[in-house]
Amino acid sequence: MTAPPAAVPRPAAPRRSPGRVKAAMFAVSVSLPALAALAGPLISPHGIDTPVTAPFGAPGAGVPLGGDQLGRDVLSRVLHGGTALIASALLVAVVTTLTAALIGCVAVLRPRLGRLVERGADVAILLPPLLGIMLVALAWPGGGRRAVIAAAVVLGVPYAIRIVAAAASPLATAGYVEAALSRGESTAYIAWREILPNLRATVLTLFGLRFVEAVYVISMAGFLQIGPRPPASDWSLMIRENAPGALLNPWAVIAPSLAIAGLAIAVNLLTHSLAPDTTAKAVTRS
Amino acid sequence: MSRPADTGARRAAHLALRAAAPAGRRALLLVVLLAAVFTAVELLPGDAAGNSAERGESAADLAARRHLLGLDRPLWERFADWMGGLPTGDLGTSAHGQKVTALLADPLPNTLVLAVTAFLLTVALSLLLGCWAAARPGRPADRVIGHASTAAFALPEFVVSAGLLLVLSLWTGWLPAVTVTGGDGRPATWTMLVLPVLALVIPQTGWNTRVVRGALADQASTPHVQAAHLDGLPPHRVLLRHQLPGAVPAIATGVATSTGLLFGGAVVVETLFNYPGIGTVLASAVAARDTPLIAGVVMCAGAVISLVLLAADLVRHATLGART
Amino acid sequence: MNRRQALWAGGALGVGALLAACSSSGGGTSSASSAGDGAPRKGGTLRVGALGRASAITRDPHGTQANESDYLVIALVFDTLTVPGAKANVAPRLAASWEPSADLKTWRFRIDKGAVFHDGTPVTAEDVAWSLKRLRGTPSGAARLPGVQAGNIRAEGADTVVLVSDYANAEFPMLTRFASFVMKKDTKDAEVAKAPGTGPFKLDWYRGGNARLVRNDRWHGSPVHLDAIEVTMFETPQAMANALLTGQIDLASNAGAVAARTAASRRDVQVLRRPNDMAMPIVMRTARPSPFADERVREAMRLVVDRDVMVRQVLSGYGTVANDILGTGDPDYAKDIPQRGRDLAKARRLLADAGFDLSRTYELVTTEDVPGLADSATLFAHQAADVGVRIKVVKQESGTFWAKTWKTGDLYTSYWGTNDSAVFFAAKTMVGEAGQNEAGWNDPGFDAAYRKVIGTADTGKRAAALKELQRIEHDRSGYLLWGMADGIDLAAAKVRNLPRLAGYGRVQLEGVWLR
Repeated sequence: MTAPPAAVPRPAAPRRSPGRVKAAMFAVSVSLPALAALAGPLISPHGIDTPVTAPFGAPGAGVPLGGDQLGRDVLSRVLHGGTALIASALLVAVVTTLTAALIGCVAVLRPRLGRLVERGADVAILLPPLLGIMLVALAWPGGGRRAVIAAAVVLGVPYAIRIVAAAASPLATAGYVEAALSRGESTAYIAWREILPNLRATVLTLFGLRFVEAVYVISMAGFLQIGPRPPASDWSLMIRENAPGALLNPWAVIAPSLAIAGLAIAVNLLTHSLAPDTTAKAVTRS
Repeated sequence: MSRPADTGARRAAHLALRAAAPAGRRALLLVVLLAAVFTAVELLPGDAAGNSAERGESAADLAARRHLLGLDRPLWERFADWMGGLPTGDLGTSAHGQKVTALLADPLPNTLVLAVTAFLLTVALSLLLGCWAAARPGRPADRVIGHASTAAFALPEFVVSAGLLLVLSLWTGWLPAVTVTGGDGRPATWTMLVLPVLALVIPQTGWNTRVVRGALADQASTPHVQAAHLDGLPPHRVLLRHQLPGAVPAIATGVATSTGLLFGGAVVVETLFNYPGIGTVLASAVAARDTPLIAGVVMCAGAVISLVLLAADLVRHATLGART
Repeated sequence: MNRRQALWAGGALGVGALLAACSSSGGGTSSASSAGDGAPRKGGTLRVGALGRASAITRDPHGTQANESDYLVIALVFDTLTVPGAKANVAPRLAASWEPSADLKTWRFRIDKGAVFHDGTPVTAEDVAWSLKRLRGTPSGAARLPGVQAGNIRAEGADTVVLVSDYANAEFPMLTRFASFVMKKDTKDAEVAKAPGTGPFKLDWYRGGNARLVRNDRWHGSPVHLDAIEVTMFETPQAMANALLTGQIDLASNAGAVAARTAASRRDVQVLRRPNDMAMPIVMRTARPSPFADERVREAMRLVVDRDVMVRQVLSGYGTVANDILGTGDPDYAKDIPQRGRDLAKARRLLADAGFDLSRTYELVTTEDVPGLADSATLFAHQAADVGVRIKVVKQESGTFWAKTWKTGDLYTSYWGTNDSAVFFAAKTMVGEAGQNEAGWNDPGFDAAYRKVIGTADTGKRAAALKELQRIEHDRSGYLLWGMADGIDLAAAKVRNLPRLAGYGRVQLEGVWLR
């Protein structure tokens, strides 16, 4: 990744290279687990709340991965357990990225807003995300998944704005932006038409990172029993519920663990292959 | 830094002055955070009186308990009281009538031992891996490390913990499955630290390796590094003498930022391994709506995170100052 | 099912018979139990694991002990007046004997002659009266000593304490079993944590929920064999079971069924089952406008549940089928009332007769407070679908549940950990005016039977009234009690003479010895 020395680094634009085709193929191959999770409910052999074997029953005929804590089919529950997780993580990533992109672009044009955002991010950084989720979700007990999604967005936005603002600040003094300012264009116009288009790579990267982060945070919350409720099947909840029987039927824990690991890795590699340079940089900016 | 010794004292004084402003700012931010947490806990349904009550207490009993805990006073008054006690080291009283300082006296050092061990190990590992990868840009080793670190950082701690517990303890019996403390409040043997530390280190190293690798890549394109390469210096020398020092500020900031994640991970890891730290205290305090206890834990965690961020600020100032 | 399980699963044996039969067994393997038993061996340290949370640590014997670990420490350091017993459900502890007045209102407790505090001073009636008044003065005092005003507790002479109840109560001594810990008179609140007790063990140290206790050689009760007990607090049953399986502790108290199954194949671990430990009834609100106000609907629900499947799936088989009567461990439990089974046809008919609305979805509210509770709700919802009743399980966070749903919800799960008295439940949860009337039940016939039970001194007449009380409860109450979970302890093979009693009886570790 030795980038050619550039005297004036241009605002990052997606680069075209032969590697890109490879990356795309790679992307398809790693997104297969995600696809399987989305299509899983269609091919699962049993219902998710029907006991078909003994609690933590060993794998056998008809139950290839054995039973869970109520003797329900582990395979069927794993196949059902990813849909909501993926959908909520996606929602969090989209909302966070969009909000951050818009506010971040405006913030570099309006220094006062910029400073406010900085302070917000400074405070948010002191609050471990997990604790934030616990507080928000508990303050909204009926919220379930919605509470977790809201918390993840609220806690993720300040940090994401900072990344966008950092990438956008060199642009605020660029010639074409100053030209637009002197033309008397509105802040919104400049943010939307002049700055944002030049931040495509950053935003794409940010989206990827937010998605990974969302999967992490939502599954962590699920593990702490915030969000999904029994008898819903959810990978993180399954790990929590079935952990006591890990020695009786290890698959009840291993299968959802592998599913979460697979999803997280797939999403991460996908981001990495879409925007390899900026990913590395985005994590160092804070 | 090879600088003459006589300027050392002046530099230190200069640094201290520079540190004062950010330190004050960080302290202010901590107060804002605590106020936010106090308010948030207030919004939670139910309160500490209800949660520490027994079945069958009447409304009058509950009101008595509420009065005993001071919950019938306005929020701002309780917050002011709590803040007022801070300078004297008084963090208030938990819903079950225990001093918060007493409840945190043993767990806080335990968590610090766990977190600092994990943190140092993480920094060492990620520097090693990051440098190793950066020395071989684009080659298989770089790609493998890149993908592996990506994969590791995406893994939630509880997944890592479940795997480690099964393999290294329950199946093989190599390591103790949980932490048991002795009369001094510390883990009885050091082997009990291995699994919790590993569970924290693996995801953290993933993240920080990427930070290091990214910062080094940034430096690779700077003119003085390019010039060093053109001068024909051996690559590892360029990496250690030119690339790495320039990357230190970015690395310090990135690593410091991850301490919040480390603490979040500790909540889960401590619970899973029965490690007696403030993570377990926090998890149960949130469930019990124990405001003073939650605030006490947030205070401690926030203070530690603030200190780490402050240290990163200083490192950044020091290195940037040295270069200008 | 191995030999040990077969032995313990014998619900047909009386508790007393069980105790006698097992006092010399409980070994992990047949060789272990035959070779190593005999006379108790003195010495050794027992490492006990018990559940607890760091935030809920309570050192005050009269505080709210949310942690089993804290209760265990307190119960070994301090003595209550009485404790749960095997033959009768009240056994002497600090009180050597007790007797009521003729009207069953005034009760006299005589303190054990040899009782001394850990610092050597004898226990006086003043100490006991002061402690009971202190207990009565806490916010939960009225719930713990119901019907006793603080002014009606007094010392009489050196060794007798007199309590006067507001109403006749033949079961009064039961109130003194769990919380009546005795401290020295005028112990200050700040000194409670280090206050000397009178119990079988003295506190060596206590830190962050963990503690070490050493033998009290001057204990007034039977000889204590162990040198010391080390208590380790565990946040989760799973961590506790793992600690036992990897040999880090010798006894995992209340470890649960899954841990028992995991350990079943281990020859170095004994699994102890204490029957009738935990009740997890489904509560149906009996007052209008609840959809379960109609007696026939409640009867139908009780006929819908498949009790055997519930016990098998929810409790992993570590439990017994119940008959909708709470207090299954009572020596006077009505075993002759026929067991209710699954009868879908009759249930459908009853629902149709009552005009039950099958087009609606009913919410069954549950919590994760105890293992298996949410699972029982899930499985019951599944079974109810067989007669067309649609039930949606709603899991509430514990605090919300107790504040919002408990005692007011139409359909929810509850749980009770003390099950050795049918009268206890009648008084606490089923009499019309009961403070914790979970189902809002108000049945004149039942109330009359209850008053007869607690107001009758003659044991024969009382037994008859108690049977009548249980029959009404079986027929008409708001409870669906499908089964009883066993209390399950895991212990290393060397541990002998562990407590057999359900519920809080499990803390009676003073008789334990190590082989």
